[in-house]
Amino acid sequence: MASPLQSLAFEGGGNEALVLRDFRLARRAGVRGPGASDLLTSHGLPADIAPNRISDQSDRGLVMALSQREFWLLHPDAAASSQQPDSAALAAGAWPLYCQHSHAWLMLSGEPKAAMMAKLCGVDLGDGAFPLGQVAQTQMAHVSVVIAHHDYQNEAVFSLFVDQSLAEYAAGALIDAMSEFNQSGI
Amino acid sequence: MTRGRLPAPFGQHIDRERPVTFTFEGETISGYAGDTVVSALLGEDRWLLSRSFKYHRPRGPLSLAGHDANTLVQTPEAANRLAEELPAEDTPVVTGQNYWGSLDKDRFSLLDRLGRFLPVGFYYRAFFKPQGIWHFWERFIRAAAGLGVANLAVQPTYSDKQYLFCDVAVIGGGPAGLNAALTAAEGGAQVLLVDENPYLGGALTYHRFDTAGTEAGPCLEQLRTAVTAHSGIRVLTDATCNAWFSDHYLPVFQGQRLFKVRARTCVLATGSSEQPVVFRNNDLPGILLCSALERLLMHHGVAPEQPLVVLAGNDAAYRTALTALDAGLTVAALVDLRPGANDPALTSALTEQGVPLYTQATVYQAEADASGTRLAAVRVHACSDEGTVGDDLAHIPCGLLAMSAGYMPAYQLACHGGAQLSYHDDRAGFSLSNLPQGMLLAGSVNSLHSLEAVCADGRNAGRAALEQLGLDAGAVEATECSERVNHPWPIFKHPKGREFVDFDEDLQIKDIINSARLGYRDIQLVKRYSTVGMGPSQGRHSALTTARLIARATDRTVSDTGVTTARPPVKPEPLGLIAGRRFHPIRRTSLHDRHLTLGAQMIPAGSWRRPGFYGRPEQRLAAIAREAQAVRSGVGMIDVSTLGGIDLRGPDAAEFLNRIYTYGFLKLPVGRTRYAVLTNEQGVVVDDGVAARLGEDHFYVTATTTGVDRVYRDMLRWNTQWRLELDIANVTSAYAAINVAGPNSRAVLEAAGCDLDLSAAGFPYLACREGQLAGLPVRLLRVGFVGELGFELHVPSLMAATLWDSLMAAGEDYDLQPFGVETQRLLRLEKGHIIVGQDTDGMSHPGEIGLNWAINNKKPFFVGGRSVTILAGQPLKRQLVGFTLGTGAPQPKEGHLVLRDGAIVGNVTSCEYSPTLDRIIGLAYAHPSDSEPGGSITIRTDDGVCVAAEVAALPFYDPDNARQTLCALKQPRPAWPAPCSRWHSRAAATRLWF
Amino acid sequence: MKIMHCPLNGPRNISEFTYGGQVHTMPDPKTCDDPSWARYVFYEDNDIGIVREWWQHTPSSYWFIAERHNGSDDILRTYDPGELFTDRVDFQTPGGES
Repeated sequence: MASPLQSLAFEGGGNEALVLRDFRLARRAGVRGPGASDLLTSHGLPADIAPNRISDQSDRGLVMALSQREFWLLHPDAAASSQQPDSAALAAGAWPLYCQHSHAWLMLSGEPKAAMMAKLCGVDLGDGAFPLGQVAQTQMAHVSVVIAHHDYQNEAVFSLFVDQSLAEYAAGALIDAMSEFNQSGI
Repeated sequence: MTRGRLPAPFGQHIDRERPVTFTFEGETISGYAGDTVVSALLGEDRWLLSRSFKYHRPRGPLSLAGHDANTLVQTPEAANRLAEELPAEDTPVVTGQNYWGSLDKDRFSLLDRLGRFLPVGFYYRAFFKPQGIWHFWERFIRAAAGLGVANLAVQPTYSDKQYLFCDVAVIGGGPAGLNAALTAAEGGAQVLLVDENPYLGGALTYHRFDTAGTEAGPCLEQLRTAVTAHSGIRVLTDATCNAWFSDHYLPVFQGQRLFKVRARTCVLATGSSEQPVVFRNNDLPGILLCSALERLLMHHGVAPEQPLVVLAGNDAAYRTALTALDAGLTVAALVDLRPGANDPALTSALTEQGVPLYTQATVYQAEADASGTRLAAVRVHACSDEGTVGDDLAHIPCGLLAMSAGYMPAYQLACHGGAQLSYHDDRAGFSLSNLPQGMLLAGSVNSLHSLEAVCADGRNAGRAALEQLGLDAGAVEATECSERVNHPWPIFKHPKGREFVDFDEDLQIKDIINSARLGYRDIQLVKRYSTVGMGPSQGRHSALTTARLIARATDRTVSDTGVTTARPPVKPEPLGLIAGRRFHPIRRTSLHDRHLTLGAQMIPAGSWRRPGFYGRPEQRLAAIAREAQAVRSGVGMIDVSTLGGIDLRGPDAAEFLNRIYTYGFLKLPVGRTRYAVLTNEQGVVVDDGVAARLGEDHFYVTATTTGVDRVYRDMLRWNTQWRLELDIANVTSAYAAINVAGPNSRAVLEAAGCDLDLSAAGFPYLACREGQLAGLPVRLLRVGFVGELGFELHVPSLMAATLWDSLMAAGEDYDLQPFGVETQRLLRLEKGHIIVGQDTDGMSHPGEIGLNWAINNKKPFFVGGRSVTILAGQPLKRQLVGFTLGTGAPQPKEGHLVLRDGAIVGNVTSCEYSPTLDRIIGLAYAHPSDSEPGGSITIRTDDGVCVAAEVAALPFYDPDNARQTLCALKQPRPAWPAPCSRWHSRAAATRLWF
Repeated sequence: MKIMHCPLNGPRNISEFTYGGQVHTMPDPKTCDDPSWARYVFYEDNDIGIVREWWQHTPSSYWFIAERHNGSDDILRTYDPGELFTDRVDFQTPGGES
């Protein structure tokens, strides 16, 4: 399947430039409920991640905590799971979420990403206020978004999760906001 | 021709190597790069810049700081631009505005002589009666009080917004602001420094703080260098902070961008506005504030040749006179309202240079030259501190008068934050108190004026800001300054009037006093009645005088009188900046591109875009009829992904649903669906959908497109209180949905390949199943919104396009027709199904819309249950009924009124022409006694034409619901579409999900 | 723009939140009289003072309680509703706890 955002994919030149990539077809899953952290533990993953933090488990992907009892598991380099989304409990009180289908995944990299995001988002995403490992559930260009600050291929990036029906809209708003930063790079 | 400019240190802002020209009123004006339009005009000794608003009096520069309306001009792009802020270099064409004829010879200036017929409140009083007289006079008055010409052809420019986060926002880059910024940054804070001028320095760039005039320069140099070099300070110049909002949220506009600054603390170093002296003809071109003259000399090096008189209410004006002498101006006299200067050194410095001094004296009247447009002389009289005027002391020819009666703190931003202004009789000035948490003042806005005190106060504010941030700050000490800068009564009434209090609005002393005499004692009412302070300068130069005049006229103190409320914005701001880059989120279903390929006309549904119908706009009715026909006689398919979807999972899922919706759900068998109506606590129907029990502990509930967010929100809140054991997930976007409807729908599904028994027995009406369709995992609901045999297919959204393509292929032999929302609305209306939100309003309870059958009264509780019971015990006030009309009748529209004996009893909620029935059909609220089928209701249609519609039983179509159980009408060809999906493989279908 | 402290997400612009009305105690719908029910459904106290309100952080769908002084508009405290609602609520017994 081709990237639904192919026509919008935008990459400027130079290391300083911002790059927005579409990870909609990369694997992600989620689990929620009182049994969620036990389930993580039983799979050898850390369950003591504070809400709104993201933890890099190297080849086992990223674990993102959205509350005390909601965790997303993100695999930027794995293809979307081809199985049907589970709806039955994975363990007592651990309900799977349909992140693969409900949320689009965009990844933003480049030095001025916090300054660019300030055109769209009211949360300070500068390194001081939003260090690596931090997650913000907030709004971007008037729509809800989850922003995670993590490393990807040795570079600090923002992963953006927006409702999949808003992916084109969000990408359009991002690309418009990015253009002033990338003019010199092209 | 350009007259000579002063050498350095005068004219710091102009580049003498780069002459520029522009035209003003068609005349070519020369200046230098760095000149404003005004400084270049003054450089050519052109002082008449505008005509006043009401009397069309000639006006020249007053503040040269962008703080008054005297230099409003027209450019081809826009009206009402402040010429003192327009760079001469970038403004090729400028004209005056608000005149009839020419700026120099404005025929409307006759109005000045008619002034006594135009008293305060003239418009309110003169045009109040007889009724309608205003409309006659309005066009003449609007022509005379014109404010330039709007350019209707102007193209909107791209403007946007950006958040800017900082620890300390310092507003104002004068000596106080520079010191505050530096201290805060040195203490480790991230600082934003904002100044409305193109350069930092504020008063340091023009004002003389000491007798010798040697302090400001080095101080500015040192501060500017340090601030510019500090990495913790971000400087925004040419940037205006236009308001203070809660929690230090500051809109700052610069160029085409509005910065939404969010600071943790905020230092206001906004300075103060120098105050004019109020005397007869104090508005003649050539009369300006001392600071304006200083700016003209220091920034632009313009030295007028005419003799200067300085009118002093404080020592600062003496220093202005010294600067003027340094610049080579002839100082004809210094007139001091006080008994003399506080600092004797100033007196001797002036007398040594031969400047005549008049103390305890004022300019009582200014006189114009023969043209009437330029100051020619002043008449000096003795005066007292209370405004009484004594002997005529001198008549002094002069072309220039610089005045300073004191300073008013630039209080606006502080007052936006709820600060209080109080007046101190001992120093005849206002000060600010009761500041919001985290707001600090520094410099002259804090009533400090000596350079030493201002700088110390700035450092103090910096330290106080650090303390607020919890950073090590060092001791904060209050700064003291004894310099008295305000004269208590610089107001001199003249029998012939024309002593202007408010230059923008042409208000004289008597106008203010008369407002009080007419009973408007409150300063807010005085403002509304007289319009004082309503002009572009927003009371900067008039508020203090007005407060004093009203206090005296009403026997109160100035503190009691106060000033009018300061509200945002501080300065006029372009609306484009407020709008910014507009964000209109648009949601697309996973099938959006498929619809476009098929030629769908997309229409909005909430924030979604949905196909209205497929075909060209001009063939709308035919397309809808064709699609409807396909559904009724063959098979159609519609994208219903926008339907809300909520998964309820857990042991209490059934109990939870039972409390939320009106029906009973505890005993709903697995594999069955039930219509779900949601009432709010008032018993009003707010949403509906279908609840499908997919498992003992698992319900999948649909909700309306626009209602699902609220339903989900309410569900979460209820369970926050009830603490039931279940998970509530909004899966609207996770699942796409396609409704396949029509007699051949079952056949199409079978052709697409399905692992379920789809027969009437195996998959009956209102059943639900999970299974594989075209190789994809699908939730199937057998429901009939459009009134035909039909299946709603819910599929994970990334697989939706594959499912659509498979169905299109499988349906080829059945002429499967995609249909749009408009067709669906018609089909459901034929079936009499209501749409919550269209056929209901904020008062509709179940009894009114025929949903009593969907209420379970035996349950212990459901939201709204008690209210529904109470409403059920009361007589109905209206009832939703079906109606039909012959095709010849005018077709009613949604919202048209239903009348009964001339009174309104209801309204039409839906109405369509039904090709199936060949009649107009609709739903309307009617009087309950008219609800029996066969009766008649009166509908008032367009242009007041009333039609009698027949009340009809619902549904209009297929009343026995026989269509839901039809079998296939046509046998398919034995074609088997190959599922082409990568999703087909279930090899990895293990329980391992990561 | 005002800032509100979400117990889950920290300080955020107030535009990220949805107001959910005052926190009321529901009278027993099976036993209370009509006027008491109407008061519960339609009336807000509207006194000047500290009010206890429902707020939701919209992007995370998280409901919490805020105590706010409606005179000064100062938000004094925000906390998880678990502090107020500790036990499961059941409607099984008519006249029982609501």
